[in-house]
Amino acid sequence: CKLGQSVFLCCLYTFPSLSRLFYRYRDLAPQLVPLSYIDKPDVKLPYELIGSMAELKDNPFRQRIAEVFSEDGEGNMTLDDFLDMFSVLSEMAPRDLKAYYAFKIYDFNNDDYICKSDLEKTVNKLTRNELTLEEVCLVCDKVIDEADQDNDGRLSVEDFQHMIARAPDFLSTFHIRI
Amino acid sequence: MDTQSNQLKEKHPDIESLGSTSEKRQTHFPFSHPFKWIQRKLALSTNATISIVYSNLKGEIAEDPHSEHLLADTLDFPGLLTPESLNAEGERSSELPESSSQVAASDQKMVFVNFSHSSASIEEGSFSQSYNRRQADLVYRMPSSLLRLDSNAETYDKDKYKHEEKLIKNLASISSKERVKAIQKTPKTMKEKRDIRNKVLMEKTKKSVSSSTQINCCTQCLYKTALSYQRFKNGMSEYLHLLQLWQKTLKVIGGKFGTSVLSYFVFLKWLLTFNIFSFLVNFSFITIPQLIASGPNNLSFNGLELLTGAGYFKKTVLYYGFYTNSTITKTENNSSYDMQLAYIFTIGIYFIICFFSLVYSMAKSFRKNFINPQTYSGSAAKLLCIWDFNITNEKAVKLKQSNLSTQIKESLSEVTLEVLNLSPKQRIARIAVHLLVWMASLGIAAACCAGVYFFSRNNLQLLEGNKSELENEAATLVLPIVVSLLNLLIPFCFALFGLIEKFQYPRHQLYATVIRNVFLKIAIIGILCYYWLNDVATSEKECWESLVGQDIYRLIVIDFIFCLLASFFGEFVRRIIGTKCCKKLGVPEFDIARNVLDLIYTQTLAWIGIFFAPLMPAMQIISFFIIFYVKKVSLMRNCQPPRKVWRASQMTTLFIFLLFFPSFTGVLSVMAVIIWRRTPSKQCGPFQGLTSIIDAVSGWMHILDSYSSSKWVVWIYYNLIGSVHFFFILTVIVLIITYLYWQIIEGRRIMVRLLHEQIINEGKDKMFLLNKLRALQTSKLDPPKEQQERSSSSYQPYRRAALQMTASIERPFGRNGRDFYVEPSSARIPEKTSLPPADTEGCQPGISETLALALRARQQAEWEMEDNDDEDFRP
Repeated sequence: CKLGQSVFLCCLYTFPSLSRLFYRYRDLAPQLVPLSYIDKPDVKLPYELIGSMAELKDNPFRQRIAEVFSEDGEGNMTLDDFLDMFSVLSEMAPRDLKAYYAFKIYDFNNDDYICKSDLEKTVNKLTRNELTLEEVCLVCDKVIDEADQDNDGRLSVEDFQHMIARAPDFLSTFHIRI
Repeated sequence: MDTQSNQLKEKHPDIESLGSTSEKRQTHFPFSHPFKWIQRKLALSTNATISIVYSNLKGEIAEDPHSEHLLADTLDFPGLLTPESLNAEGERSSELPESSSQVAASDQKMVFVNFSHSSASIEEGSFSQSYNRRQADLVYRMPSSLLRLDSNAETYDKDKYKHEEKLIKNLASISSKERVKAIQKTPKTMKEKRDIRNKVLMEKTKKSVSSSTQINCCTQCLYKTALSYQRFKNGMSEYLHLLQLWQKTLKVIGGKFGTSVLSYFVFLKWLLTFNIFSFLVNFSFITIPQLIASGPNNLSFNGLELLTGAGYFKKTVLYYGFYTNSTITKTENNSSYDMQLAYIFTIGIYFIICFFSLVYSMAKSFRKNFINPQTYSGSAAKLLCIWDFNITNEKAVKLKQSNLSTQIKESLSEVTLEVLNLSPKQRIARIAVHLLVWMASLGIAAACCAGVYFFSRNNLQLLEGNKSELENEAATLVLPIVVSLLNLLIPFCFALFGLIEKFQYPRHQLYATVIRNVFLKIAIIGILCYYWLNDVATSEKECWESLVGQDIYRLIVIDFIFCLLASFFGEFVRRIIGTKCCKKLGVPEFDIARNVLDLIYTQTLAWIGIFFAPLMPAMQIISFFIIFYVKKVSLMRNCQPPRKVWRASQMTTLFIFLLFFPSFTGVLSVMAVIIWRRTPSKQCGPFQGLTSIIDAVSGWMHILDSYSSSKWVVWIYYNLIGSVHFFFILTVIVLIITYLYWQIIEGRRIMVRLLHEQIINEGKDKMFLLNKLRALQTSKLDPPKEQQERSSSSYQPYRRAALQMTASIERPFGRNGRDFYVEPSSARIPEKTSLPPADTEGCQPGISETLALALRARQQAEWEMEDNDDEDFRP
């Protein structure tokens, strides 16, 4: 086992998908990533490489995803981060875990709350800036109005999880097949 | 601890006096942010989670009836918080000249603020630590919701360490399987998870070493088997993975068309596994024994049989009629194989397994997708959950984005539209149209039924007529072609109704169309079953079961051909028209609902057919395989991603339900009629010569009765399976349980509603109190300044911090909380500056008000942790 049992136990994947993921990771930069991880090399792939993966390439949130899952917060990923990312985005991940990371992805300014500016960014990414400013504003207000349980004008993790619990499609859509 | 406090002293010269002086006071902000702020400050300044904060609470506590309770319920550690210790502390502090001059000793309360991140009980470790510092009176414990640990926030080593320690302790106490799961579920990076895991393992080994150093042989052996099992499982999963069909194809489809279209293919795959399973079961338990015993087939094969299923196939293992009723015995050893029992038990057990797996997947799907359906529709969920991370195709992404923007625009305009109410006249007109359309569609379904019935009766008579065999066989194809044509054309007719009908929501239209189509299909199958059971079965024909089997074979084959034709004409030709001739039509979309209903229809037929033709699943497997590839190619070439929102998981749930309710239960009832009520044909099949099929089982029971060793089987058969009383009692029990659960659900629903209201109220309270507090802060900003100016020059930095703090409070809910504590050194300033000393208390009622507010809010925050300990803790 090139990756070691500890990785296996900490991520939600079963073994074959794990090795497949490892090869996906290695294929991004064969000259950088060694074949054996037994001596724990410290390899980090830059965001440019991660973001160019077929699964992420056209995703409007790719940068956020990479930032959230990378340890340095800038999208440069070690193998661990990479495995982590796809194990959260896999089918097996429980709803709460997915919701937590989805929340982080939408929380653009990392303040642990989805506030209006975050929502505006989300809307713009979702629609490729096709909406007018007022429309974006209206939509954001509506979202906050609806999902904000404790009336503090922004969405906390709890608000978000509460909302996710009522959106059954989330589990299947927040999922990247590898 | 000592070194720590020494360091502290060096850092803050005034900290030495903290233990005994009592002039410092602090307002407690009952809100998460100020609390976090204090906590972080303290964490930075003292490098520990704990700190000692003095406060003069006497007045406030006496005034506020809640506060006593509040303080009481924080007294989790009676050893630390006895009145005596309070007294002692008070006296000690009163000895100090500086403080006693200002405040009476008995007024002093030392407030020990412990910020525990976890909602569970506070660790003892942190308390023993705090006791070292001999200041602990009150424990202000916050619920976790107010002080949430966020891994991305600044790291407070000590704090985190403790949290982790507890986590590790918890994890070490549970079983290894659950532990792995729990670790996997923690939202942390892999490295942290691994650390935690290693620590847990260390903890475990420590424990096990201390408890029993010797591992006995048995546990070692167990451990080894567990390990090898784990290895075996890993190896197996590697191979199982290879068996996972179409992984790549599904990924491509998902990447290009999103989850909605993907759900059709997943459904198809799911049905395919059903058929593979049933094929394996039937083939191994029914067909193989028969093949061993069967003689050669001397009928000629001319190719048309592939369509009609008659002729050559009549004398093969495909049909019921070919199976013998004798026991198959191999001469060498005495073991025999009873075909009758094998036939009935294999099919029976297959249906039972199907039943349970359907119920299981239905229940799972319902649990996942209908958690709270009545509150589902909301733009928030729409916006934040709508992005389909499956989509990886550039064009698809762009299309999805533009679809989304039009959707958002539509929903915005809907807000204004919904306000417009329809006039009563319009409403009546609408309802009338709905009624008319429903009548029309039901009428059409009924007409189809009648047509199919007459066609099939004619067919039966036609078979009796003396014509050439080829003609006869061709004539039998008329019925399936008519049925398939109806199945293909009527749904289009129903779709046209959509032009007349106006629905408030598009999904209502979808549901209406689905229900009408289901009506049609079920009606057709129902009438066919009626024809088979009432006309064919009682027609005294030779081997009626095989005839029914042939009918079903033809229906499935012709339906399969029509399915291919439909995807050719419906999608390929439609695209040619849409792109070349009539640009307005555009590229077609993949009609998920229609396609899934077609699958359900053929699956129903196949289930009915299993009894009459045990190898029907094999055909189904082949047809599903081909359909999968044809649909995939057609989709890739001809279709575009759907524009409308398709609630994939909800619709899948609906389809599984449809597969269960009219389809599978219908099949079960047909089976019941065949087995209990119909006489099997006299000359062929495993049950020839019996009056009903179930006689085979009762006859077997009679035989078993003579063996004393199998008496229990007979007892079970007569008292449980064959007894009406047992089923009556069982039904009553199930009904009672259902009723109880229903009541529990009702209760929970009310509870959820109340809690929801409570959350909203809490939020309002929070806002109100914060506004109040903010107002007070601004109005009381000046007196502390004066106070500071009176005091020594060493207070200068504090003043700066005070301004900082008030400024940050002015800012409504500052961003990260980071800007709250720019300066670690100014940790305990606000305590002093925000509140004036006690002697001015009387003339400043605002402060006590502040505290009262704070206490009230805190009390609300801790309403759930109420403790009835009413001990009077004040000296």
